[in-house]
Amino acid sequence: MKLPIVGFMPSDVIAAWIFTFVVGAIITIYVLKRRKLPLIWDYMRTTNHRKIGTLYLLFGFVFFLRAGIDALLMRSQLALPNNHFWLIQGEKYNEVFTTHGTIMIFFAAMPMLLGLMNVAVPLQIGARDLAFPYLNAIGFWLFFAGGVFFNLSFFFNQAPSVGWTGYAPLSTEYTPGPNTNFYVFGVQVSGLGTILTAINLIVTILRHRAPGMKLTRMPLFPWAALFTSWLILIAFTVLAIALYLMMFERQFGAAFFSGDEGDPVYWQHLFWIFGHPEVYILALPAFGIFSDIITTFSKKRIFGYPAMVVSLALIGFLGLMVWAHHMFTVGLGAMANTFFAITTMMIAIPTGVKVFNWLFTMRGGIIRFTTPMLFALGFIPSFVMGGVTGVMLSVSAADFQYHDTHFVVAHFHYVIISSTILGIFAGIYYWFPKITGYLLDEKLGKWHFWLFLFGFHMTFLPMHLTGLNGMQRRAYVYYAGEGLTALNFTSTVGAFLMGISMLFFFWNLYKTFRFKPIAGNDPWDGRTLEWTQASPSPENTFEPMPVVHTSDPYWFAKKSGHAMITTDDVRPMPPSPQTILPFLTGILMISLSFGMVYHWFWLAVLSGAGVFAIMFIRNVSDERIKMEKGEKIHE
Amino acid sequence: MSEYEGALLKDKKIGFGMYLGVEAIMFATLFTNYIIFTPSPHGPQPGELFEAKSLILSSFFLLSSSFTLIGAERFLSKGKKLGFLIGLGITFLFAAIFLGLEVKEFYKYVSEGNGVSANNFMASYFVLVGLHAAHVAFGLGWMAALFTNWMRNIQKHLYHEKLKIFSYYWHFVDVMWVVIILVVYLRFLI
Ligand code: HEM
Ligand SMILES: [Cu+2]
Repeated sequence: MKLPIVGFMPSDVIAAWIFTFVVGAIITIYVLKRRKLPLIWDYMRTTNHRKIGTLYLLFGFVFFLRAGIDALLMRSQLALPNNHFWLIQGEKYNEVFTTHGTIMIFFAAMPMLLGLMNVAVPLQIGARDLAFPYLNAIGFWLFFAGGVFFNLSFFFNQAPSVGWTGYAPLSTEYTPGPNTNFYVFGVQVSGLGTILTAINLIVTILRHRAPGMKLTRMPLFPWAALFTSWLILIAFTVLAIALYLMMFERQFGAAFFSGDEGDPVYWQHLFWIFGHPEVYILALPAFGIFSDIITTFSKKRIFGYPAMVVSLALIGFLGLMVWAHHMFTVGLGAMANTFFAITTMMIAIPTGVKVFNWLFTMRGGIIRFTTPMLFALGFIPSFVMGGVTGVMLSVSAADFQYHDTHFVVAHFHYVIISSTILGIFAGIYYWFPKITGYLLDEKLGKWHFWLFLFGFHMTFLPMHLTGLNGMQRRAYVYYAGEGLTALNFTSTVGAFLMGISMLFFFWNLYKTFRFKPIAGNDPWDGRTLEWTQASPSPENTFEPMPVVHTSDPYWFAKKSGHAMITTDDVRPMPPSPQTILPFLTGILMISLSFGMVYHWFWLAVLSGAGVFAIMFIRNVSDERIKMEKGEKIHE
Repeated sequence: MSEYEGALLKDKKIGFGMYLGVEAIMFATLFTNYIIFTPSPHGPQPGELFEAKSLILSSFFLLSSSFTLIGAERFLSKGKKLGFLIGLGITFLFAAIFLGLEVKEFYKYVSEGNGVSANNFMASYFVLVGLHAAHVAFGLGWMAALFTNWMRNIQKHLYHEKLKIFSYYWHFVDVMWVVIILVVYLRFLI
């Protein structure tokens, strides 16, 4: 098969090529002029948790912008009835909502959360790094490879157009070309990285806490990371196999999901067994971030700590039981629908517990309205609104009315954006000192927050109404006189307000790196261990290691006026090597995926052999072999 | 083994144990897949294809390779180096024979026109048993790395560590084979 780079190209693809070249040239000139190559080389080989976290945040954010531009394109097309905006109609619209959804979920929201976990979790629990630093780098570069690969499809004008859910038989029989393969391999590769990182986080949290930090003294963000990782282990594993089966169906002639033997509903089961927990994989870490931020800026202990942990666990557990609420209309029968309706509604209980505990934490506290706190406060009512429509959708009989309308789109954006996206920004503002050593500007941060929040409600509140008025999801056009025009136009204006709010974020970053407002170790008057460490966090943290006697140990040490007790008796850590192997693994995975997508099997085989060769090299030459001297196996 | 090494080994054991849990979920999904689609309404059927003889032969080699590996580990901890090398060598050899038999079986099916696309029984057979065969192939590469490390004469405790993790992997692959015997083959052979 030929790469269709030459020949007819739609203007948006050409625009993207030009844009990428221009930005690439600017970045290259900047890098060369400022002599940043050694820095880049350092990050390519790093296995340090803070640096990998930074990379996750950086590339997650780049993909977030790409998917955000997709959103603006969609909203521009939907701004007016019977609109012909640029070329975002028909098949193009399908591609745009597919890449928007897929990138937002897999390559923007998840990696940015994993980035925050990488930065903050070890610092909060007193670990010097993740348990397996090399594996951590592998996890990151697999995400990077999957993300880059998926995005490249657009540049070849072969973006997938099957929705982020990849429903069969659309994704199997009806799209035999390479497009859908980009979805299959992009998501598969990055998903494998996610699984590895989840294992790494679990071992770290269970085994690398500071002396005295019992699980019951652990801050809530690591708790959330722990439950999230468990969910990842189950959800992403099922997804990996679903995509594996789909690969066999698309490339080697199996027929699990279509044809006379296969069943499209089977794909939906596999997908949603992954897909629903995924929603909690996105939401739980945000809950953890908000819990920590609300305690810090209320100067109070979290209210109902045990209830907070138990409800995290319950939400995670129930999250695994409800997948079929996405399938009320496929005809599973009344019994199944009722079961899934009830388990879905039950999730409102632990979520409600959390909301009230956040409110009680603030009650009587000394509240400081900093930017991270504003994001946390904006989250609570917005998320409750999304929760209410969630309960409405879980009424299976009523779902027949809402299904596949913009009501659903409004619901899930309310939930995902108010938890995950507000949480990510809250976390970025909050931990920015630990990442860079500088504090982001508060005034610009507040502009960013208010514009984003206002634009968010303005975009998605009207979508409930258009949905109830019958506007279908994934449709690129509606007509005048359907009573949809004003609402849709409002929605589009709101989306652009969100876009503008991002400009304030950029301005903020620019200002911060220009004027370098040094943050110091503890800019927020924090409570947990990360604020005892230097900003940005050094490669060797916790020397000496603090001993923990209570939750919020740093806060109580400050209050009592004594320094924290420390010890030299620390838990062993593996060394963090500098190595290019994980990066090379990622690059080889990209070429392997290309080989599979275009049926250049020689390329796939060569790249696969390369990956195994790297594993082999790693096995016979890891850094501990080099570092440790000792008794040899034989003389 | 020092406290330092002990702690790191325990990290690895737990982490790798979880990884095997992930693999178990993967295989469980594929077993379900196989059960859903077998037998197929038309096309080749398991009863016509499977042969007891080749199953018994390949199972013999794979399952006994778990025991030769245990033997090799015993030799190593007793300091009997030659015994260890022979034990690991036989494990490698048996695994290679198993893989050869598997490939032969696959080849036979495919050349008879019963490839992945013949029907969903064949497809679910190949995705499941093929994934397992890939695990055996990966194990062969891993053992090659163990031999290389032996030649490079790395530190004793590190060698034990690498061997231990590999043995977890290898026993897991064997256990999965037992389940494959039960779910995939046995029902259609008796
Ligand atoms: C920031 C502003 C955002 C805007 C204006 C926006 C807008 C939209 C629009 C207009 C659609 C298509 C509706 C349709 O025609 O069916 C859509 C779909 C979707 N969005 Fe967003 N979105 C935004 C952010 C996000 C975020 C942060 C996420 C997830 C982290 C997300 C996830 C999705 C998903 C999964 C779909 C469904 C795609 C599909 O149907 O396959 N969006 N969004
Ligand atoms: Cu759901």
